[in-house]
Amino acid sequence: HGLEELNENPNQIGSENVDPNLLLPTVINGAGKAVVGLGFGDIAGVMQHTQKDGWSSGHNAYDWSNDSHSWNSYYTLLTNNKNMIEKAEADNLEFHRGAGLVMKSFLFGLITDLWGDAPYSAALRGNEGAEFFDAVFDDQRSIYEGILLDLETANSLLSKDQGSYFSIQANQDILFGGDVAKWRKFANSLALRYYMRLSVKEPAWAEQGIRKLLSNPQLYPLIIDAADDANMAYVGNTSVDSWPTNTKFDADSQGAYFRIKMGATLVNELQELNDPRLGVWANKIDIPLVLDAGAPDGTDEVIDGERHVAQDIVDAYEDIVGFPVDYDKEYVGLPVAMTFGIAYNLSENLNQGALNLHVSQLNDIYKEANGDLLQARLISAAEVNFIKAEAATKGWVSGGAEGYYNEAIKQSLNAWGVGDAYSTYIAGPAAYTGPEDILMQKWIASWSAAAESWFDYRRTGIPNLQAGAASKRQALPLRFYYHIDEIDNNKENADAAIGKLETTDFKGDDATNNSAWSKMWLLQGTNKPY
Amino acid sequence: LSFVLFLLFSSYVSAQTVTGSVTAAADGMPLPGVTILIKGTTNGTSADFDGNYKIDVPDENSILVFSYLGFETQEISVAGKTTINVLLNEDAQALDEVVVTALGIKREEKSLGYSVENVAAEELTRVAQENVLNSLSGKVAGVTLNNTGGAGSSVSMVIRGAISLSSDNQPLFVVDGVPIANTLNNIGGFGDRNPVDYGNAISDLDPQSIENVSILKGPSAAALYGSRAGNGVVLITTKRAKDKEKMKVSFSSNTVFDVPYRFLDSQSQFANGYFSFSPRSEGGSYILPDVIPAGGNGGPELDKGYYAVQWNSPLDANGVPIPTQLRSYPDNVREFVQTGITTTNSISISNSTEALNYRVGVTALDNTGIIPNSDFKRNSFSLTASSKFSDKLEASTNVNVVHGYADNRPASNRGTNPLQAAYSTPANINLLDVKDYKLPGTDIYNFSDFYENPWFLANEVNNSFSRFRVYGNFALDWKISPSFNIRSSYNLNSFNQTQETKMAPGYLRETNNGTYGIAKTDGLETNIDILASYTKDLGDFDMTLSAGGNLMYQKNTGLINSAASGAGLIVPNLFTVDNIAPATLNYSSYTTERGINSVYALANFGYKDLLYLDVTARNDWSSTLPVDNRSYFYPSASLSFLVSELISIPKVDLLKLRAGWARVGNDTSPYQLGAFFNNNGQWDNAVLYSGQSGLNTPNLEPEEATSQEIGIDLNMFSNRLRFEGTYYTVENRNQIVPNIPIPGSSGYNSVSINAGVLESKGLELSLGFTPIRTENFNWDVNLNYTTNESTILELSDGVDYIEFWSENKSVSRGYIANAATGEDGLVGNIYSPLIKRVTDVNSPYYNYPLIGSGEDAEWLAQEERVKVGNYNPDFVMGLQTTLSYKNLSLNLTFDWRSGGQYMSQTSRYMVEDGYGQQILNNLVNPGISEPGPELKQWVLDNADLLIYGENFLSIGGPPGDGGFAQDLGGSVVYDGIFNAGVVGTHDADGNFILENENLGEVGTAFLPFSVANPWEFGTPHMFDADYVKLREVSLSYDLPSKYLERTAIDNLSVSLYSRNIMLWTKDSEFGIDPERAFQAETSSGNRGTQFKQGIERYNVDPWLVPIGIKIGVTF
Repeated sequence: HGLEELNENPNQIGSENVDPNLLLPTVINGAGKAVVGLGFGDIAGVMQHTQKDGWSSGHNAYDWSNDSHSWNSYYTLLTNNKNMIEKAEADNLEFHRGAGLVMKSFLFGLITDLWGDAPYSAALRGNEGAEFFDAVFDDQRSIYEGILLDLETANSLLSKDQGSYFSIQANQDILFGGDVAKWRKFANSLALRYYMRLSVKEPAWAEQGIRKLLSNPQLYPLIIDAADDANMAYVGNTSVDSWPTNTKFDADSQGAYFRIKMGATLVNELQELNDPRLGVWANKIDIPLVLDAGAPDGTDEVIDGERHVAQDIVDAYEDIVGFPVDYDKEYVGLPVAMTFGIAYNLSENLNQGALNLHVSQLNDIYKEANGDLLQARLISAAEVNFIKAEAATKGWVSGGAEGYYNEAIKQSLNAWGVGDAYSTYIAGPAAYTGPEDILMQKWIASWSAAAESWFDYRRTGIPNLQAGAASKRQALPLRFYYHIDEIDNNKENADAAIGKLETTDFKGDDATNNSAWSKMWLLQGTNKPY
Repeated sequence: LSFVLFLLFSSYVSAQTVTGSVTAAADGMPLPGVTILIKGTTNGTSADFDGNYKIDVPDENSILVFSYLGFETQEISVAGKTTINVLLNEDAQALDEVVVTALGIKREEKSLGYSVENVAAEELTRVAQENVLNSLSGKVAGVTLNNTGGAGSSVSMVIRGAISLSSDNQPLFVVDGVPIANTLNNIGGFGDRNPVDYGNAISDLDPQSIENVSILKGPSAAALYGSRAGNGVVLITTKRAKDKEKMKVSFSSNTVFDVPYRFLDSQSQFANGYFSFSPRSEGGSYILPDVIPAGGNGGPELDKGYYAVQWNSPLDANGVPIPTQLRSYPDNVREFVQTGITTTNSISISNSTEALNYRVGVTALDNTGIIPNSDFKRNSFSLTASSKFSDKLEASTNVNVVHGYADNRPASNRGTNPLQAAYSTPANINLLDVKDYKLPGTDIYNFSDFYENPWFLANEVNNSFSRFRVYGNFALDWKISPSFNIRSSYNLNSFNQTQETKMAPGYLRETNNGTYGIAKTDGLETNIDILASYTKDLGDFDMTLSAGGNLMYQKNTGLINSAASGAGLIVPNLFTVDNIAPATLNYSSYTTERGINSVYALANFGYKDLLYLDVTARNDWSSTLPVDNRSYFYPSASLSFLVSELISIPKVDLLKLRAGWARVGNDTSPYQLGAFFNNNGQWDNAVLYSGQSGLNTPNLEPEEATSQEIGIDLNMFSNRLRFEGTYYTVENRNQIVPNIPIPGSSGYNSVSINAGVLESKGLELSLGFTPIRTENFNWDVNLNYTTNESTILELSDGVDYIEFWSENKSVSRGYIANAATGEDGLVGNIYSPLIKRVTDVNSPYYNYPLIGSGEDAEWLAQEERVKVGNYNPDFVMGLQTTLSYKNLSLNLTFDWRSGGQYMSQTSRYMVEDGYGQQILNNLVNPGISEPGPELKQWVLDNADLLIYGENFLSIGGPPGDGGFAQDLGGSVVYDGIFNAGVVGTHDADGNFILENENLGEVGTAFLPFSVANPWEFGTPHMFDADYVKLREVSLSYDLPSKYLERTAIDNLSVSLYSRNIMLWTKDSEFGIDPERAFQAETSSGNRGTQFKQGIERYNVDPWLVPIGIKIGVTF
């Protein structure tokens, strides 16, 4: 062999041989897992959909620091996406270019929504040489600008008939099966999301954009039907392609599924609304509690599947734990960031993260590895309709808010398989009473994709959530800390971005402005959420 | 003219012929190869195999000069005799002075300008070691050894410190001319958390067949082996038949019993659980809440006569579990491990005739490990033979076939490691109760779904392997003339390895019918060498010129099939690939190739016996580097000056000054230049490809290590005092370092790049003396001392630091030395956060620890990390001593490491989970049971310890010793502790705003002692690595030959020995062997494996007292 041939890599392919179809599912997959990781993970805790009673500090109490959340995996996905776009440009594959721009917008959208200023225009160029390793952080405003520009380009790239695209492999598109029209709707729906994100900080810009998108459905088709939701289904073959709380691969009695409890904030709200989605998301408690007021002291026994306790036991418990016993026969949520959550509601199992017979676990479907409802939800028809409703309250779209609100709820119920209950539900306490309802319902509908409702909360202060006793700070966090790896390696640029953050009263003992309670550009001067 | 012709002619006219034999004066053995010269001429001959010679002398007054390496030269006048038999005396000055150097060339040590260490066979096999490298511990200056455990484990050898940031720093091993890379990359095992060390290449060598180990420490010694020799070379010469020796049969048998005697310091005072209920809180009932194991070891106190429902409580008639007494089982781990037994039997036959010289050896090693059901076996066969076709042509060959295999190698780290499971077992559970885990009619393999059963893991998680290694060479030596010869050889080293994991259902991380995986890996390296040498003697000057070439080729292939993590098998206990569901089958294959072509030349010049100069030059062409950079040249030069030959100094036998300079180039691994994309599995029907997150640099340059060394050798008092000192520096430039972190926003997490300049400096001293040397009694002492320091001088643009490891919140990194920031630039620094403190100097709480609020009333960690230690030793010393009286001898080898630290993840997990004794040791009992002014005053009185110190001491004893009251839904328990400090924040001006004191007053936040571990910090689990080991002790007896005269036995010896006994550790409480403070792990991104130094995670066998016996017989 010549030395030349010996160093030809027989195990991997070079960038010249990468089909964009091979990279597309990698990017979608990573983005989908990120959405679930956030919105079914710690952000579901922040937004009080769920609470944990084991290994809970990041989930319930925002016990975050500069080594809690790294954006490296987002940038790694973006590098793959960049390769896909470049390859698609070289081969003139408009579908892959369009889809690439949508995913680029989605991922950079997440980065800037989560952290604020971030490397954008100078990012992803490490392969061009050492002088490109340390990328400057772009202003958050210009990142949104770039995203919206890319989505506009994507809308036009994806505007042709399905038949006029080349090289689409349906099985490789794990979001839409190669349906170009759906990608186009995804692009525009994302643009709508980001314009509304800017509605408080930059109302004029947001209004112009939203009017543009909503006034011309032919030019800007949107996801308005749950059938078009940008969802990625979990597969369920192995631990890496299964729903994260499955008990097929994690059967530990203190495993992922058992650690998560329904949050009291969400359970109470859903119960007030007679919401049919509660039964989809939550299990009923195993053993309801019954106060046997007349029983002798110390009475504590299970009769016919209900646990009867005497007043003295309840008094002692309430005295210590500081929460009343919840005698609800069906659903009990765990209060926010409570101390000794493991003992809540007279639980006798004092192991952290274990089954609590008197608190609602998540529905059994979340024990499965896959299933119709076990999907990563990137953006939904419900969200688009809620945005329309919100735009209507601002007069940025024709039509009344209530109609869009109702449609949004209908699409959410459809998405969760309880569309039949719509008319009863909307006739009940869930009926539209005012703009605040839109964001309350949007918060509910963001189940398992709660990051979006965190961003809404920051913008609007709705729902008016309070921190719990064990929370690290007595307010909800506003962002992720810049990670120490980026600070260590890209110090000058990171420090400049940190300097631009605006501290709040909840900065606590964070040594610099790099705090989860500091305001990024988007929130500065908005007086929201506090 | 005719007169001149006559003179010329006459010198070739023989006056007479002299014959005779040359033998050693000491033992009468013939001395083949003795040079016999006619004085005043260059005419001469050499003695044959039998020491016989024949020489024609011009006249009867000629004087014959008999010279032989290691013997005193004798001059004898012919004086008309036709037979002259000569007895040569050993030269006391020249004891052991012949050493094997690069390319197997034997040289007089005095002629070398660089440091070479020689270890002879008797040193290697006096105490049987399964791995030849372990025999070097304590005996060689400048060498650091680490091994992962018992027989068959990988052993890491580092010479003169880690000068390479990118590789595992292993030297190149050359066995009889066959290069064998000892890469630490054989960590395998399938299934979730099942890392298994299958041993690196040197573990395949049979120590019984080794004659000599020669260690070429610096690059100057190694300049001729090319790229791979940058970390030094270990030349291993195997045994061969002694010339003209009668047929000899040797047999030896070794048995070692490894008796475990010391275990990690775990607590057996408390049952599992998070809260220490006690009868005080239970109204004196003595019946406590259930302790069904589900986590924590801070539960009720044991051996107090308390009762609770336990995992194995019997049921009453209604099926209700009956409380049983809470007892402790402190000897669980001791009960679990067993005495390891290793037997090694070896037989060899050697013979030497005119036509053929051969040695055949067979060795069988059989090991049963201290972990039940763990084993290792190795059968070795070796053949060495040479034959002279004529006076000028000699062929030789060396063939070794080794079969190493095991039914089960124990896993390390956390997961399937049975020792970890044994240590984790709560003290209230008797491990003997779960020994018979296959209870009839049940499938209960564990006593809870939280704890693994170590017996199950040991017996049902089987990591087997089988590896055939064939290595050897075929060489031709062609002596074209006495001064010119050519040697060519073909060298081969190949292995075929199969490793399999068979896991029965029962492991909690593989809950779907266990798992299965199989990997087949093949490796091949060939080297074709040719070397021509020319020797010329010009009176006072002599010189040897050589030139040669080498073609090296490597190929590795692998084929790997396993079930995806957690996905398991279709049918349990059927271990085939087709029993894995297709969608969950992980499969892959790879091939890598590499070639290096080289030419080289060397020249040795000598002036009298006074001055020696060596010069070498080599050029390599490597396939792994870019076309433009693939050729690299590197020279070396060294000088030896024998002062004692020039001037006579009283009592001095040898005074030598030496100096060397060398440069060695190095390449990189295959396929490190481009951007590549991998198949990363499937998502339903979609195939997921992705690029590497580690960035390659297309225009890599070769590495360049430049070393300099100076040394002095001094022997005095008839060699009863021997001193050697060497000082060296190595500057390693353009190091190709993979996985250097870069900002994630660049799109890549790391880069492989020519990273900078690293400098190592070190000192190696050795001192030997012989206080007693009499006919019957001899006492020898040898001491050696090594110190080395490596500093980063430069890093390339865009690189801020190099990371050696990152665990929890602690990292080991190398930064550039910077006087302004106080950064010392040392390799091996460990950084960790300290406790966050009040920084407002005007605050009365200045320097108080900050405590988290609410439930997290624990010490807060600083955002910044500071240097807290370094994993490298300050120095290492070895001491060997031999006492012999007649046929009895006692040998002792000690090893002392001073300085350096390591972090123990074992300790961290043990304390976190509550079974490490340290959790109790870190509690201080104030003797005050209520919060209030008195308690606060006590805390303030002890402020240096509790507030200002970085001691991580929690206040409040465990229950029974003064824990504070804690309320828990209906029960009060007395196991509360608190951490002294304050809760509060600093405002924008740096003023401290107090929210709450946490100093013992009412309002202080109490935590259960079971959660007292400061998980956020590295320093509570950092230990000093200083230790002293008794590396070897042996007592041996050679049966005097008079008892053997009438038997067929020539020689019989018996010895008793022990080895590797830990005598002292500076941090002695916890019980980790600091020598194992490293982690053998496969790093990401196809970079091979590196031993992470200074961090360990369950790399913790018990300390052992081995007892060995060896019998050797020669017929």
